[in-house]
Amino acid sequence: MTTEVSRLGSEIAAGSSKDLLRAEGVTKTFPARDLRALDPIDLRIRSGEFVTMIGPSGCGKSTLLKIMAGLLPATDGRVVLDGRPVVGPRTDVGIMFQQATLLPWRTALENVMLPIEIRHGARAAKSMRQDAVEVLNSVGLDEFEKVYPHELSGGMAQRVAICRMLVTQPSVLLLDEPFGALDELTRDHMNEELQRICEARNATAFMVTHSIPEAVFLADRVVVMSARPGCISDEIEVKLARPRTLDMTTREEFGKIVRKVRSKLDLGGQR
Amino acid sequence: MSQTLERSPEAPRSSETKRSREPLLDRMPQWIALVLVGGGGLLVWQLIVSLELVSRILLPGPPETFGEIINSALGIVQGDYVFEALWITTQEVVLGFIAAAAVGFVLGVVVGETRFGQKAIMPYLVGFNALPKVAFAPVFAAWLGFGINSKIIMALFIAFFPVIVDTAAGLASVDRDAVMLFRSVGASRWQTLVKLKLPNALPFIFAGLKTAAVFSVVGAVVGEYLGGGNGLGELIRLSAQQLRLDRVFALIFYLSLIGLALFGLMSWLERRFVFWRKPELLDITTVA
Ligand SMILES: Nc1ncnc2c1ncn2[C@@H]1O[C@H](COP(=O)(O)OP(=O)(O)O)[C@@H](O)[C@H]1O
Ligand SMILES: [Mg+2]
Repeated sequence: MTTEVSRLGSEIAAGSSKDLLRAEGVTKTFPARDLRALDPIDLRIRSGEFVTMIGPSGCGKSTLLKIMAGLLPATDGRVVLDGRPVVGPRTDVGIMFQQATLLPWRTALENVMLPIEIRHGARAAKSMRQDAVEVLNSVGLDEFEKVYPHELSGGMAQRVAICRMLVTQPSVLLLDEPFGALDELTRDHMNEELQRICEARNATAFMVTHSIPEAVFLADRVVVMSARPGCISDEIEVKLARPRTLDMTTREEFGKIVRKVRSKLDLGGQR
Repeated sequence: MSQTLERSPEAPRSSETKRSREPLLDRMPQWIALVLVGGGGLLVWQLIVSLELVSRILLPGPPETFGEIINSALGIVQGDYVFEALWITTQEVVLGFIAAAAVGFVLGVVVGETRFGQKAIMPYLVGFNALPKVAFAPVFAAWLGFGINSKIIMALFIAFFPVIVDTAAGLASVDRDAVMLFRSVGASRWQTLVKLKLPNALPFIFAGLKTAAVFSVVGAVVGEYLGGGNGLGELIRLSAQQLRLDRVFALIFYLSLIGLALFGLMSWLERRFVFWRKPELLDITTVA
């Protein structure tokens, strides 16, 4: 039953333009705890598509995201990014977590340049300085280069984390509840910001969230996951015009999709 | 940027309203409170002596003791035998501390960073820590003689364990997501250690170094008590035998200054290198 549903979702996705990121029958078992975290997951993400994933806590969303990022090996199945199987961390993947995980002993700019410094050394990072400054400017952090993380608010810290993710020009963004620790007002604001960034870059993104309105607001497609073991139970296309505004979230068509996602989620919970 | 540098203007006001409700003792500036408690202590001391609750020979009063501190200070400035002793003990403490810091740091990284160290070395270190280390002082004296070497080793012996534990704990305190982030950008194990885990462990490492600063004084003095030599410990032992307790207290005062100086240096380095963390008032408790 579950596999049928997910296959259905995949067929819808396969209908249009090229898949950039594909999970093919990915499963995960944690032998130490004798825990089957993921049942076969099939997921296709088209180039330029924004896919959000929602599901009960502990259903394996983070695990799936880490497998797609090459940070965790799949027990079975495989992930293919841009035609090449993912077997380890890749330079064309940008990743972001719930906490900004900025290094407190580095300025905002030095934090943004960290991925370059690690991959290509300090000299390369120095030569890329101007690019990093521009990325910071693009998220409204002008003149914040020399500021240390403890002087930043939660929202601003996450903006720096976005910049750190963007600075290496990844072809796909993987986001694990990136705004989950922020207050609701900041969070709404950050969602608008993220939409703007992704529109401007025509970015391909996969984002895990536990907020239904957030999932709907950002997504071209919402993937619903159910628990124990985690599997995709539904996929819902979101055909709202872009750019979406916070205003739209109070409209009936938005509410309809939110209710639809919620009903699927409840179904997932009963199983 | 409206949410810039969120320093709420409400904060000072609310703390002031809270202040006025606090009792007088809590409201006074810290230096007055310190003087008050210190003065109280001296008063009790003087009372005990004045009322002759304890014989004056066994417990000299504050004036005698401070007189002797000044006396010794004059001697130290002139470079007499107190100066010699102070210099010898300082060398023992500082060299013992440096050795403890180096050994503790290296073992701490091995234990904190490798599974092997964790499985095969840490249990031995924990067992070692349970030993009554002071009991080894005569052993070092027998091995290394009555010079400063046996005291340096004793200081090292007593002081290195906290550095290991704190370094390892600091390495373990790293945020899992930060490690994931480093892996995602292709960082090597070495890069993760140097650019993430060690800087992150610095507050812990400094806590260990501060403990080691105090412990290395203990080690050096125990070494001197039980292994002779010409340091302050030996002078204290002799003065106590002669029932010159004013001298004993004065010498202990100078002995503490060595530890305090080392401790202060570590605190200063910590403030410089761990600038992103507010110094915690509780740190003072580690001196005691
Ligand atoms: N490294 C691990 N070892 C063992 N079990 C794990 C590990 N990581 C996650 N799990 C388990 O796998 C399940 C899914 O976890 P996770 O992917 O973090 O869920 P979610 O992100 O959806 O909340 C949970 O039951 C969790 O306890
Ligand atoms: Mg999660």
